[in-house]
Amino acid sequence: MNKNSTRVLGAAAAAFLALGTLTATHAQAATTVTLAFQSPLTGDAAQAGQDELAGAKYALAVYNASKPAVKVNLIQVDDQGSGSVAATVAPGVAKNKAVIGVIGSAYSGASANSFPFYIAAGLTMVSPSASRVTLTTPQAPDFGGPVFHRVVGNDSVQGPALARYATKGVTAPAVYLVDDQSPYGAGLAQYTVPGLAKVGAKTVGTDHILPTTGTDWSATTAKVKASGANVVIYCGYDIDAGAFVKSLRDGGYTGIFASGDGSATSSFAKAAGNAAAKDARLTEGDTPFDNVATAAQKKAFTAASGVKVAGGYATNTINATNVFLTCIKQGKTTRAAIATCVNTGKFPNFTGGTFSFESWGDIKGGAPIGAFKLDANGNIVYVGQA
Amino acid sequence: MNFSVLTSQFWSLCLSGISLGLIYVLISLGYTMVYGVLRLINFANSEIFMVGTFATVWVETGLTGHTSGSSPIHGFQLIYTLLFALVVAMLSSGITALAVEFFAYRRLRAKGTNRLASLISAIGMSIVLSESARILTHSRPQANPRLLEKSSLGHFAGANFRVDTVLVVVSALLMFIALDRFVNKSRLGKAIRAVSMSEENAKLMGINLNRVISVTFLIGGLMTGAASFFFMTVYETTKFNVGFNLGLAAFTAAVLGGIGNLRGAFFGGISLGLLETMSAAVLGSQWKSVTVFVVLVLVLLVRPNGIFGEAIQQTRV
Amino acid sequence: MNLKNINLRDKGAALWESWDRPRRTIFVIALIGLVILMPFAGNFSFTSILDTPIASYQDVLVYPIGMFVLMALGLNIVVGKSGLLDLGYVAFFAIGAYTQAILGTKTHLNAWEILPIGMGLAMLSGVLLGLPTLRLRGDYLAIVTLGFGEIVRIVTLNISITGGTNGIARIPGPPEIAGLKFDIMHPVNYFWLVFGMILLVIWMIRRLSVRRPGRAWEAIRQDEDVAMLMGVATLRYKIWSFSIGAAVGGAAGVIYAAKVLVIAPQMFTFNVSVLILSCIVFGGMGNMWGVVFGGVILAYIPERIRFITNARQLVFGLVLVVIMNLRPDGLLPRKKREKIKAKRAVDNV
Repeated sequence: MNKNSTRVLGAAAAAFLALGTLTATHAQAATTVTLAFQSPLTGDAAQAGQDELAGAKYALAVYNASKPAVKVNLIQVDDQGSGSVAATVAPGVAKNKAVIGVIGSAYSGASANSFPFYIAAGLTMVSPSASRVTLTTPQAPDFGGPVFHRVVGNDSVQGPALARYATKGVTAPAVYLVDDQSPYGAGLAQYTVPGLAKVGAKTVGTDHILPTTGTDWSATTAKVKASGANVVIYCGYDIDAGAFVKSLRDGGYTGIFASGDGSATSSFAKAAGNAAAKDARLTEGDTPFDNVATAAQKKAFTAASGVKVAGGYATNTINATNVFLTCIKQGKTTRAAIATCVNTGKFPNFTGGTFSFESWGDIKGGAPIGAFKLDANGNIVYVGQA
Repeated sequence: MNFSVLTSQFWSLCLSGISLGLIYVLISLGYTMVYGVLRLINFANSEIFMVGTFATVWVETGLTGHTSGSSPIHGFQLIYTLLFALVVAMLSSGITALAVEFFAYRRLRAKGTNRLASLISAIGMSIVLSESARILTHSRPQANPRLLEKSSLGHFAGANFRVDTVLVVVSALLMFIALDRFVNKSRLGKAIRAVSMSEENAKLMGINLNRVISVTFLIGGLMTGAASFFFMTVYETTKFNVGFNLGLAAFTAAVLGGIGNLRGAFFGGISLGLLETMSAAVLGSQWKSVTVFVVLVLVLLVRPNGIFGEAIQQTRV
Repeated sequence: MNLKNINLRDKGAALWESWDRPRRTIFVIALIGLVILMPFAGNFSFTSILDTPIASYQDVLVYPIGMFVLMALGLNIVVGKSGLLDLGYVAFFAIGAYTQAILGTKTHLNAWEILPIGMGLAMLSGVLLGLPTLRLRGDYLAIVTLGFGEIVRIVTLNISITGGTNGIARIPGPPEIAGLKFDIMHPVNYFWLVFGMILLVIWMIRRLSVRRPGRAWEAIRQDEDVAMLMGVATLRYKIWSFSIGAAVGGAAGVIYAAKVLVIAPQMFTFNVSVLILSCIVFGGMGNMWGVVFGGVILAYIPERIRFITNARQLVFGLVLVVIMNLRPDGLLPRKKREKIKAKRAVDNV
């Protein structure tokens, strides 16, 4: 490489960085406020964040289409689902005075690492999917009050609901419980165990896998078969759940397969194949977007987000975004005003009705947990409350 | 500890361990072939695998129009589709391997620089490949339709010999034997072995070094591509990060057997498949990789160059 | 002028050699002063181009930049100085971090008292890992250390004292010293602390390099067999190098846990080991200044380009490939003299 091309490269790099500075500082007109969307957007955990981002983009597009007085910007804050990264971005978001609310984080671990900064800055968070119980337990070391709120039912609600629904209509349920050792999966499993005892189910075995794509499930399948279980509950995410149920069905297991909301996306049936996914029981603190949205809404969703089929927690993210948008519509454009508004207001639920928050951040009356079932075509069908 | 599972499911576990192990064998060939000639860990091999899995999905859905709801197909159409998918997967991985060699290794090798520089540029390539795949697929998993019905061919001592498992075992064995023959008997294979013994002397003997190294990457890529096809036939699901753990396991297998040694990779892959399956069954899946690494350390303490490894010369950083 | 022939390291060294003592002292003090002022560059007129979008610039200076540099310096003792490929360096970082988290939340010890304990435990684990495995050569050592890194993470996931998958929250920060408070409102103080640690490590490495251990490591790196024949107790010095590197990683872990307040096993994955190793090779292996430079650049780039949200990691990967191809010996390679020797050694393999 000669000197000239070195110069050109250097100039290009400088221009590139300057561009970044411009785009970062430019959005500060008088009647514009900014919301931060914090989630894993790159790296291994990106699926959850990208799926939720689509929901936030859709909610915002609907809002902006209504020609509101205050315009709302969305900045994308990538925490890679990791506490380390969250602890680096959260203080930056907290210092950015334009930001008046945070949608996220998708993950409980990244949320916990963000709390100290957002609490100090009085910046309200509404998470679509962080379900670790202790985040809203005032005595817990990782309590996120008063800034943290979530529109998802926490694990202490989801676990027992999962246990109830998984064993429903089964005589002498013998349960094999598997989790994926993620903060989500292990937390859900922890609260499923007492739920199982309550419905009189016997736990005949447990296993903990490490959540990686491409895991071989045959050993776990063999153990399930050897244990004589007639109900298998998996606490973890969609793609792993799909691979697991496929391995179980291929291995000749004919009992019930149940999983929580981490698995309730179209990716589950995709990974499992429609035949293996059929009749799987899913509980969910989030209603699949496709089940409640009208054709026009689906179209608008694709137009706003560029994503063809809505992914996991899309509905919850719409609700979380609407919490802020409702407050902004009422003219609340400072952090303090937003905080009061979120703590006291009533917000529209995308699936119908309204919701509001308890002082510790959970939805009043507990977020409803829906019971779902997979039909023969891989669609997630609502069957009632779990 | 759960030994009871061994009494009732032993043969079934063995079978799945061996079929998993053979997939490891094919992937580990990508590592071991490259290591043989360059004395370098090809860190991008896991992404070469990932590309193969996506190519398989592409053939079986995009090209033939099947979806995850499609019913299995039979007869000539099945054989034709599977063979085509296998070829495309092998070619895509092979071409990716050549690209990796070209972008991450060739320039650096020409400069005769330290080994770690290529390691890092290979890691860079690996990030580029997996992040590109992630962006192209919206971070979502991709799945194969079940074209090959997983019907049972028969039971033996509780183990279910399924069509897909048998297919993987038989084809992987055949491929391995073919490769082994190629490396030991053919002219090009001899050239590869000559380079792996001594680059300098091979050059003196008139061997075109660049060509041999490219061919080595290509063969490693083809084998990894075959592995990705078999993986997709059995497991049917992939994602942009699918290569990471499988690659790590395959690399471990290569080291266990003696890296740079083909038969070592074979033995290492099978042992690793069995070890993972058995330890997951007995100790619990969470201790699987711990068991693998403890066994690896124990083996290396007794045989510092792996089970089949000859005392390769000291390698420096 | 040809880019690949520029060796800033040699130029810098030549300049340094030509200076007299007062001039050197002034230069070092000015340099240190400049780094001390770095946290304020984010809001200062023309240097505000350094400010990171979205992420907090002052926190980015602590983690990843400061921590990466510190760890890269520690790992450089193992990889760059003694030529042992360690792919599981994150294990020592994790051990330090968990020591601070567990002792900080369960006992009355403060971070300054825990620091030596964390370093000691990391060293101990370095020795325990090194004793059986440092007999292995080259890439066999790499895979074993990689395994060790994974084992540490898996164990923290599966035992109760480390809080399992949720990790440990509300880790106390270090008590204030000399009026400097260590809490979330004062990332600047953490930066100065980490910078102080970096200076200490640099000083230690410089001392060791010219003494017996440094010479022994150099000999081992160039040719282990010859070193052994010359009477160097290779295993002993390899274990020393391993455990000193581990101690630096442990120290980084202790301070990091206190800064980040919540730690969990997902923070200590294989990726961290790879990144730290990349810093070393990217900057210039074996040369301390190169390592520092590499750590700064590689930690900084992903934060600086946050405005390209989706393709951020992709660009990072491209930078690795392109720069390694343009400058295979890193941005600031080690001395020419050593490089020629190293090349000869590679050719002889």
